[in-house]
Amino acid sequence: MANLKEIRNSIASVSSTKQITSAMKMVSAAKLRKSQDAVLKMRPYANKLQEVLAEVCGNLDNANENAFIKHREIKNVLLIVVTSNRGMCGAFNSNVIRRALQYAEETFPVQFAAKKVHFYCFGKKGADFLKSKNYPVAGFENKIFDNLKYLAAAKFADELMQKYSLHEYDRIDILYNKFKNAGVQILTTEQFLPVPISKPVAGKGTRKFYIFEPDEEEIVSQLIPKTLKTQLFKSLLDSYASEQGARMTAMHKATDNAMVLINNLKLTYNKARQASITNEILEIVSGANALKS
Amino acid sequence: MTVEILTPEKSLFTGEAKLIQLPGADGSFELMNNHAPIISTLAEGKIKVVEANGNKLFFDILGGMVEMSSNKITVLAEA
Repeated sequence: MANLKEIRNSIASVSSTKQITSAMKMVSAAKLRKSQDAVLKMRPYANKLQEVLAEVCGNLDNANENAFIKHREIKNVLLIVVTSNRGMCGAFNSNVIRRALQYAEETFPVQFAAKKVHFYCFGKKGADFLKSKNYPVAGFENKIFDNLKYLAAAKFADELMQKYSLHEYDRIDILYNKFKNAGVQILTTEQFLPVPISKPVAGKGTRKFYIFEPDEEEIVSQLIPKTLKTQLFKSLLDSYASEQGARMTAMHKATDNAMVLINNLKLTYNKARQASITNEILEIVSGANALKS
Repeated sequence: MTVEILTPEKSLFTGEAKLIQLPGADGSFELMNNHAPIISTLAEGKIKVVEANGNKLFFDILGGMVEMSSNKITVLAEA
């Protein structure tokens, strides 16, 4: 039987851990609600933007000529990996990182072998891991999650577009956890540049004849940066909401586990306590008996 | 006509309007009921919305897009 003091100490330490995990659960629950709101508010804007872009490109015969749409030979690839700054969120980060490496190896085997697939990380965890394994990390950014705003994301999208225009990279993809609900994140890979254009659904019947002001090409060249900024912002928002969801679930489980652990320890503690009392009584009784005889 | 003004962070306005004045890339213009379908880019400036009851509302934007079709206006603004 373990000694009583040891058990008492481990009960105390497990319950203080439990307190931490349950507090973290509350915090991420509150953050989750906020970020979920942001994701939902973002969606109508993003959807409409896609719709308008498809509409304009459908009207434009030479849409594929645009520098951001045109495919070119892939020499250098940039993968944007969206992770989190903090851990304690289950397999959230390791899932994205694993998928990123797997994706790089499968989709761009030649470039990957030649170390021409670079990684750009949002969130400290991804950057730390990839750097420690000596993968080429082009850069990382971890302050953006402190206060996730459209303009901050737009600045990064601008940088990426510039790198693409300068032929530093010929293909840019984003990997992130898409938010479904608090318990479920969907690992998503999206093509960022060149812009994938979805043609408007043909045969809708009610094709509208729009007036384009100033003209289609001008609109496309303004729309594309906007869609890219929106896409990046959306991925970041989605990932942030997913992170909070993942952390909430992980912390919930940890709290439950701590509770089970405490119950078991209490049982052992009480058993040990009773055993020691029984022992003591035995000693006293046998002592008294010895005196009598 | 229904007007919706959306930004990436939130929806600024949704509702019925008589008239909307927009800062177009080539100068300010107005859209009223039954305007032909139009897609246009917007420059930095002020959007004026005149609601059905004559109430005037103003929104500052940094740029954006407007799309109108079948009396439904969607402004995608950056603010």
